[in-house]
Amino acid sequence: MSRAVHERSRTVPPALLIAGKDLRLRFRDRSAIMLGFVAPIAIATVMSFAFKSSENFHMTVAVVDADGSTLGKALVQALRSDELEDVITVRTAADETTAAKQVRDGDVAAGLVIPDGFTASMTGNDPVSLRVLTNVDTPLAGQVTQSIAAAFAAQIDADRLSVTTAIDGGATAGGSTLGDLVARAARERLPISVTDRSTGARPLKAVSYFAPAMGIFFLFFAISFTARGWFLEAREGTLQRMAAATSLRQILIGKALSVFVYGAASLTTMAVVTTVVFGADWGGVGPAAVLIGAMVFAVVCLTALVIAVARTERQAEGLAAIVVFGLALLGGNFVFVSSAPPLLRKLALFTPNGWAIRGFVDLATGPHTMAAVWQPLAGIMAFSAVVMALTAGLSKRMVLP
Amino acid sequence: MGPGADRAEGPNIAPVPITGPSTLVSTPSIVEDPSVDESLPPLLSCDGLVRRFGERVAVDDVGFSIAPGETYGLLGPNGAGKTTTIRMICGLLDADAGRVTVDGRAIDRHHAAERSAIGFVPQDVALYPDLSAAENLRFFGRLYRMRHDELERRVAEVLELVQLDDRADDHVESFSGGMKRRLNIGVGLVHRPRLLVLDEPTVGVDPQSRHAILESVQALGVQGMAVLYTTHYMEEAERICDRVGIIDRGRLVAEGTRRELVAQLAEQDHIRINATGDLVHLAEALRSRPGVVGVVAGDDNLDIVVSEGRRFLPRLIEAAEQHDVTVNSIEVIEPDLESVFLHVTGTALRE
Repeated sequence: MSRAVHERSRTVPPALLIAGKDLRLRFRDRSAIMLGFVAPIAIATVMSFAFKSSENFHMTVAVVDADGSTLGKALVQALRSDELEDVITVRTAADETTAAKQVRDGDVAAGLVIPDGFTASMTGNDPVSLRVLTNVDTPLAGQVTQSIAAAFAAQIDADRLSVTTAIDGGATAGGSTLGDLVARAARERLPISVTDRSTGARPLKAVSYFAPAMGIFFLFFAISFTARGWFLEAREGTLQRMAAATSLRQILIGKALSVFVYGAASLTTMAVVTTVVFGADWGGVGPAAVLIGAMVFAVVCLTALVIAVARTERQAEGLAAIVVFGLALLGGNFVFVSSAPPLLRKLALFTPNGWAIRGFVDLATGPHTMAAVWQPLAGIMAFSAVVMALTAGLSKRMVLP
Repeated sequence: MGPGADRAEGPNIAPVPITGPSTLVSTPSIVEDPSVDESLPPLLSCDGLVRRFGERVAVDDVGFSIAPGETYGLLGPNGAGKTTTIRMICGLLDADAGRVTVDGRAIDRHHAAERSAIGFVPQDVALYPDLSAAENLRFFGRLYRMRHDELERRVAEVLELVQLDDRADDHVESFSGGMKRRLNIGVGLVHRPRLLVLDEPTVGVDPQSRHAILESVQALGVQGMAVLYTTHYMEEAERICDRVGIIDRGRLVAEGTRRELVAQLAEQDHIRINATGDLVHLAEALRSRPGVVGVVAGDDNLDIVVSEGRRFLPRLIEAAEQHDVTVNSIEVIEPDLESVFLHVTGTALRE
């Protein structure tokens, strides 16, 4: 026995040494820092801003009240009602030309013109139309304005019919004109109401979706460079050299540990930075840590599978790319899964990232409890178990030191 | 005759330098045992090693032993089974049959502790380019579970040994090829192994670095370390090895000191002709002639091992004329390991 080798119990286990060495090399590699820490935060920030408009819809509408009478004022009042103040800001414009210019220039999202004689048309037979000014860049605002105008017009028609029917039936107008009565009736009800359709307790902020989604997407790249690293070490002989000194089990544990620590550090950093800087909601320390741990474990299993299947560095790189982009596309890392077609929503449940994102969304919109993550956790662990079984089945063909 | 007894007899053997600035192994001693003692039990013992890859038998019943302080050369062409044998000895590959012991302890893939008596130097430069020389040594030393204080001392010793003490903190990627080769050997020595296994350490190395490596290996042997050295360069085996095992197609076909191996040739001679023409057909024709042991045709050379070479010369010239081969020169070569290899395998080492 070599003189140098003694008191084994007082030395660091080889698996920890190998993990430490791999992590040291990884953190000296700028591309790994970029992929693991800088890129996910940057991309999540960009995507959150890009999708921010979808989390709280708001628009400014230029309104031209050329009518200036009872119904025109009723419509403007309805647009400025408390119920719509979170959705619409009304900016009055002097005339249609001015409003059209504001819409064209993007100063307002849409315009609404209440034409002269709008109130008077209620008692006559000459119809007068509300006109909506839209911009191709803000189609949703145009549709909303159109809907409000149509709803208001429909209500006016309904009210006019009710009043006319009542008068025809013998009711008295009490000295008021038909138009006054209709206008009074119109003010009694809002033309449109906006309700929160979110199933969770809180609305989902874009950054709360894209922070974990991008963090997980870039975490997948750990599969690629770890698998490539395995074959590189096999080719260059350092893997053999390690195997001459310690057991294969220690090497595999060390490699898995390095991926786990790197992945956990990457996602945790992502969580802390996006929470502190952008106000993302990851769902509390405990539940988020469970989901992060499970997701990183799934990545460790996927890395082992890629290493077991591939025979060369190039094959490992290709396989990892398929895994990374395949899972990211199916799991909803790039788009809100809730707005995806039903088939894609079902396919997302076959991916660990799909389950993890679902878990983070539930946490961001609901209570921050462990109960919220049990189902996603079970989904991720089931996926990992299948991957581990496949890897075990393929381990005999694995490229070993 | 003990191992090492005829090391200085070969034509290329130089005195073994232990100290001096030009040698890789310069100041600190590697092990204390300075001599090869035949009476000691072998440090490495391989017995009946067999390894198959599918239908192909890569190593077939290979057995040999190495005494403490002995340098043993495993000589054979590429693909002969040298690396597979080494992988089994180092516990990197399980043998289908046979047994390896080092210092009396069985070596296999599943018991890392026993393997710590072996220092492995792979054929490629197996280092981490993004780590410094000292970090590489520390990492592999710790894998062998060396304690901190002892490891730090040993890292300093090895860096001095491989003449990289002034580059200890430089990343390996900034090293020249020769420096990397030296550090590659240093990593194999860091945990003070009793047996150093070098797998063709001079492949692709410039002459100056090769010279330094060979001198260092010679010095390790002199200082008492057992060395297993594989090569397909006959002159390297002749220069540094106490004993040589010739391996071909997975089988150990001959073994012994250089003198013992050359003695196998008895009355046989090694004739080399330099010629132009169809040497392949000439070689085929000569193989059937009485007394011819082996013939190998090169581009413009023909190597023949034959009994009573001087009597054979007229017949050789006659055969060359018959095959329209123009003989430029004829040389009767003093028997060497190349001749032995030709004798025992019927082929040239370079094949």
